[in-house]
Amino acid sequence: MAKRYKRFLFVLLGLIFGGLTRPLHVTALENPPLLAATAPDSWTSPAQSLATSLQQIPDTFEIVGENDTFQLYANRTTLAFKVVDKRSGYVWHSNLDEKGEDDRLNKTWTAFAQSGISIDYLDAKATNERASISNSEPLIDFKPIDQGFEASVTFTAPSITILVRVTLGPDGVRVEVPFEAIQESDPEFKLGLMYVYPFFGATRGDSIPGYMFIPDGSGSLIRFTAETKAANMFYGRYYGADLGMIAELPWDPLVNRAFKLSIPVIGMAHGEQEHAYIAVVEKGAAYGEVHAHPSGIITNFNFLYNAFVYNESFFQATNRAGAGVTTLQPKTNAFDIAIQYRFLTGAEGDYVGMANSYQQYLVENGVLQKISPSDENIGIRLEFLGGEKERILFWHRSIPMTTVSQMGEIVGDLEVKNPDIIYYGWQPGGAASMPPKKLKLDRKLGTVGQLQDLVETITAKGGSFSLYVDPQAAIRDEKGYSTRNDLAMSITNFNLIGYNRSKVNFYLNLDTLTERYPALSEDVFSQTGAGLALDGIGSMVYSDFKKNHVLNRGDAILSYQALLADSAGRTSFYRPNDYMFPYTSAYYDMPLSNSGYIYTTDVVPFLQIVLAGYIPYYGPALNFSSNLQEDLLKHVDFGVYPSYFLTHEITAKILNTSSNWIFTSSYAQWGQEIEETYAWLNALLGPVKGQRIVARAVLGEGVSATTYENGQQIIVNFSEQDFSEGALTVSGKDAVIREVAP
Amino acid sequence: MKRIIQFIFIALLLGLTVRPTRADAPYTTWAWGPGGWLIMTQDAYTPLVEMDLPISEAEDMFVTSDGTIYIADTGNARIAKFVDFEEVASYGEDVLTGPTGVFVDDEGIMYIADAKSDTIVILGPDGNLINQFGRPTEPLFGKNREFLPRKIAVDARENLYIVSEGSVNGLVQMNTKGNFIGYFGANSATMSLKMILQRMFLTEEQLDQFVKNEAASPSNLTIDSQALIFTITGGGAYGESIRRFTISGKNIFPETIDSSTFRDIHVSDNGLVVAVDADGVIFEYDLTGTLLFAFGAIDTGEQRLGTLRNPTAIARFGENIYVLDKEKNAVVVYETTAFAKLVHDGIRLYMEGYYAEAKPYFEEVLNFNGSFIMSYQAIADAYFKAGDYPNALTAYRYAEDRRGFSQAYWELRNLVLQRYLTNALLLIFSLTIVQGSVTRLDRRYKWFDPLRAWWRGLQRFKLVDDFVFMFRFIKYPADSFYYIKKDLRGSMRFALLIYVWVIAVRVLTLYITGFSFNPFTSPVYIPVENEIVTTIALIFLWNAANYLVSTISDGEGRVRDVIIGSAYSLFPYALFALPIALISNVLTLNEIFIYTFSLQLMWLWVGIMLIIMVKEVHNYSFSETVRNVLLTLFTAALFVLTGYILYVLFTQLFDFVSAIFQELRLRG
Repeated sequence: MAKRYKRFLFVLLGLIFGGLTRPLHVTALENPPLLAATAPDSWTSPAQSLATSLQQIPDTFEIVGENDTFQLYANRTTLAFKVVDKRSGYVWHSNLDEKGEDDRLNKTWTAFAQSGISIDYLDAKATNERASISNSEPLIDFKPIDQGFEASVTFTAPSITILVRVTLGPDGVRVEVPFEAIQESDPEFKLGLMYVYPFFGATRGDSIPGYMFIPDGSGSLIRFTAETKAANMFYGRYYGADLGMIAELPWDPLVNRAFKLSIPVIGMAHGEQEHAYIAVVEKGAAYGEVHAHPSGIITNFNFLYNAFVYNESFFQATNRAGAGVTTLQPKTNAFDIAIQYRFLTGAEGDYVGMANSYQQYLVENGVLQKISPSDENIGIRLEFLGGEKERILFWHRSIPMTTVSQMGEIVGDLEVKNPDIIYYGWQPGGAASMPPKKLKLDRKLGTVGQLQDLVETITAKGGSFSLYVDPQAAIRDEKGYSTRNDLAMSITNFNLIGYNRSKVNFYLNLDTLTERYPALSEDVFSQTGAGLALDGIGSMVYSDFKKNHVLNRGDAILSYQALLADSAGRTSFYRPNDYMFPYTSAYYDMPLSNSGYIYTTDVVPFLQIVLAGYIPYYGPALNFSSNLQEDLLKHVDFGVYPSYFLTHEITAKILNTSSNWIFTSSYAQWGQEIEETYAWLNALLGPVKGQRIVARAVLGEGVSATTYENGQQIIVNFSEQDFSEGALTVSGKDAVIREVAP
Repeated sequence: MKRIIQFIFIALLLGLTVRPTRADAPYTTWAWGPGGWLIMTQDAYTPLVEMDLPISEAEDMFVTSDGTIYIADTGNARIAKFVDFEEVASYGEDVLTGPTGVFVDDEGIMYIADAKSDTIVILGPDGNLINQFGRPTEPLFGKNREFLPRKIAVDARENLYIVSEGSVNGLVQMNTKGNFIGYFGANSATMSLKMILQRMFLTEEQLDQFVKNEAASPSNLTIDSQALIFTITGGGAYGESIRRFTISGKNIFPETIDSSTFRDIHVSDNGLVVAVDADGVIFEYDLTGTLLFAFGAIDTGEQRLGTLRNPTAIARFGENIYVLDKEKNAVVVYETTAFAKLVHDGIRLYMEGYYAEAKPYFEEVLNFNGSFIMSYQAIADAYFKAGDYPNALTAYRYAEDRRGFSQAYWELRNLVLQRYLTNALLLIFSLTIVQGSVTRLDRRYKWFDPLRAWWRGLQRFKLVDDFVFMFRFIKYPADSFYYIKKDLRGSMRFALLIYVWVIAVRVLTLYITGFSFNPFTSPVYIPVENEIVTTIALIFLWNAANYLVSTISDGEGRVRDVIIGSAYSLFPYALFALPIALISNVLTLNEIFIYTFSLQLMWLWVGIMLIIMVKEVHNYSFSETVRNVLLTLFTAALFVLTGYILYVLFTQLFDFVSAIFQELRLRG
């Protein structure tokens, strides 16, 4: 009774305030308010508050570029710019023009909001000082160029000069800060952080509906609201922290670490399906970071931006007790900045449009290649643990968990199509040993010849076979590398320490990597025809401070790319960053969610939309799932293919090994479950194999509909109740596929 | 505005909607695994929502059986009542000053511990003041005892159990009139070796400067459906934070994996115990103290859903866990996953004694996680109850339950004995007869003389002779040491062989001792290197110390004598340790006496042999011998101490030098 009353009250409130107060819909898009059933178009109706978009361009701005779609205006004194989208007449502001009466901005923040560029600079003692263009009276040399402007800015107090170039292109605006033009004339001061157009597209509180997008996990939205649950801003380094600076990844077995930002894209939507932009960091992402401020933290503005790290302070311990000094890094990070702001309008002005725009960007740059599916059957990742070792008395004994022939039997036995098989722990000694420099299997598992036969059988059936390798990792306390010569070093002169699959490992330096990886991969590709499933290298990038091996994070990325471009075989990756997409034939451990920051309001399949139709993606292994049915629904909803981790032997055998993170894996236990999930998922996802995602909508509470380019629509009902709309009925906790007009 | 958001969240909570995509849990989940280790497992709870409430620094929360939440809103000095996370009433604003504990009975009467006024306040369901009282006046309460009520629980007979801060006598038990009934469930003070030493050597004045060694006072409590009180005590011994008291005040909660910083505990009607600690980790137990799950993480600024900043209270309602966070001014809700539901259903049946019915649930759990030890226990019990002892034996072994294993083994052995005992006795009897007649016949016909000749021939070899010499010590120990001293028998070579054999026996016994008696539940946990190194160290220390002490106290023994003598002294161990370990395989815990007694006998024998050795080899009187042995032990201890000091000094030196180099490299 009480429930019904509330529902009624809510609807009533909705009817009264629906048109006026947008912020009513602070709920997740993925999780529409109860109201949605009665007013389904409430999100798509144009918002009144957007009337401001037609405002005049102030006199202080002059036109510096124009093409068929956009006009670019610039301000000579603050370097702020405005972009008029001719398709809608909407004006994008890079900065705040005038501080409003109710704006909670102090002097520093006002200057920050009004200036195109702000910098943090550091003195020799590593104390931080911020300077913005509008409060530090810099010398500005403003020069209009073809379709844009170029300005050299000299911040006088620290004597730091930078060059900013803003140009208009067919998709939007490109902002560049070349490294060669940066001058740090006073040795006393170093450039720390550079904030690039931090107030681009900023909005006040809940004055207009919309959201910010951050590439956390599968994708996260932060809706514009007046208040936020957040206590401080979102801060995230692209590709994770630089291990070269922090030396050791923090380790806490109780913590499930937050996702790394794997693609350098942020965005914002003003209104729902009205106006949106994404900012793609084309250059400098290795040293870039995202700061997102929901309204209510310090200021009343919603804004997010890219900042770039040129110099950092670090703590150099001088003894083991922990005493030491804070100093600056010896050399400024060398990298160019280039950010492309791409503008979307109308129906494209939502996160699906943003993802598609980024996809288009990647396709245009040759990063993504369309795949043409051979059949309408989905893939399934089956990862097998080969061997692992256990300590007995003074020796280690290797435990064969799945031999090559057993793997063949299992794959032959399972009724699944297109299996993507990964063999983990194939090397002599098993999973906890260093992979060899030349292809060699553990004796107990089988021979290379057997492996070659298996690869042929699987490939013939439409599947693929890869050997698992973490090429950067040098497993601690293992033989097979030299701690003196082969390892990368942190700025504090320690070996880098990280954790993967329950093992502690150091990281190889680039020289060793470029020597080892081609040798092994060449062997694998030519001798067996198998591919490589690469962990680590797709998502981990670190700088190296070892003498004579010094390596910048950005250069490391280029070297990795070169390394992979040179190898001929099939490579697939675990959660790769964007720069590995060209070499990725399959994406493993696709996030099904985000990191759950309390101020994010929606989980959206941004990454999935970007990759759909180009790279097949597989979820985390389902045997570790605690809610199998719900996880399967997530797979269908996001178009993710299933994964399982298997062994032939019972799992208890590896209980006392470093692979005990695999707490359930026996084929005898999981075989039937695998066939069932595959059959169920294949019926739903098979028809959309290799198709792009073109639209996504929420039909009701916990019901979402994803439309693919071939006109197939998949409707997933996460709620317990049946859902029906017209001829469509989806039972609780189920999904259906139907044909809609494309 | 806020209400609207709340409506939606309420709808979520009531199961009207399910969020299609839930964020990944910010924590990993751990369960009780083999060897007493925690193992990672599937998530048992996923964070559902964080509900902001209009409260300030709230210290306690009570959830009634219909889901109504009462919060001791400490900062606002009131009790706030929430239905579906919506505030419906506020009580006691005129009486309360800083409530930190609240308990609500079935009639809705609120019992409140008010920390600022140090009183107990009882409010009616409408908020009308029923009673308010402070420190009991009864002399029994203690003359100098303070009354600082912080938390409260009430049983069905209206007995109030009050946590009084710093109370060494345990909980304060009172009635609703404010009369003192007695103390309940005191913790015991623990005495460490350091404290004992302090007491021995320090003066009264010095001792007064230390905090008095008194029993830690419980910091929070709860009451279960059987009216048994649970308390938690911070900073106590590992594994003993949680106590569950019978009516007579006896603790029946076993030692278990726990936290020393527990903040609150809650027991649900279906027997699931949850507790939260200061690090935001939530522990779930069954009523017998088995840890089911541990999960949770502290919010270090990342602000992820499901992390906690300063948890103060916890409660289970239905399939959800509510945690009150004082710093967030919010209640964080966690939802049971399908996996944890399976475990809970199994445990409910198991606790009610339906072993056979619970078995399929636990077999399913093992499909999810083969290392979930709790499952083997339940399955083993089911097998045992059904009389399937061989399977029970295997399952108990997996469950690492020595008692259960021993019982199942007793049953199995019983069966074997019943079947074969008569035959075995007959066999032994006939063997005795055969042996008797063979001996007699041998005496007459000298059948075995060639064998004896061969044996005597063998004794020409020194090592064989040394070996035979060992058995002489059984009958004539003192005499035999004399032979060693006079270089007549025994050799360094054989002494070293004995030492090697002793080390091997030491390691082997660990491997072959029966499961019921073995300190290690699985051979893989045996720290072989440690065992070997300690044994060698002990042998070395004894020999070195004894020789050095003896040379300065008129001992006649040479190094050689001491080494050989000590080796031969160890023969009881060398001969009998293995057989005892082997026999332990056919014993059950019922016959533990046989096992421990024979072990003690063996060690006693070794000790006596060593003393005789010292006496004979060095030619001491009895009093000299005792003094020498004691001095030897003292010297050995000094060796260890010196070694430790040297180690510390060298590490310091190393640190110092490496720091200099670091500095040079940095600044130079």
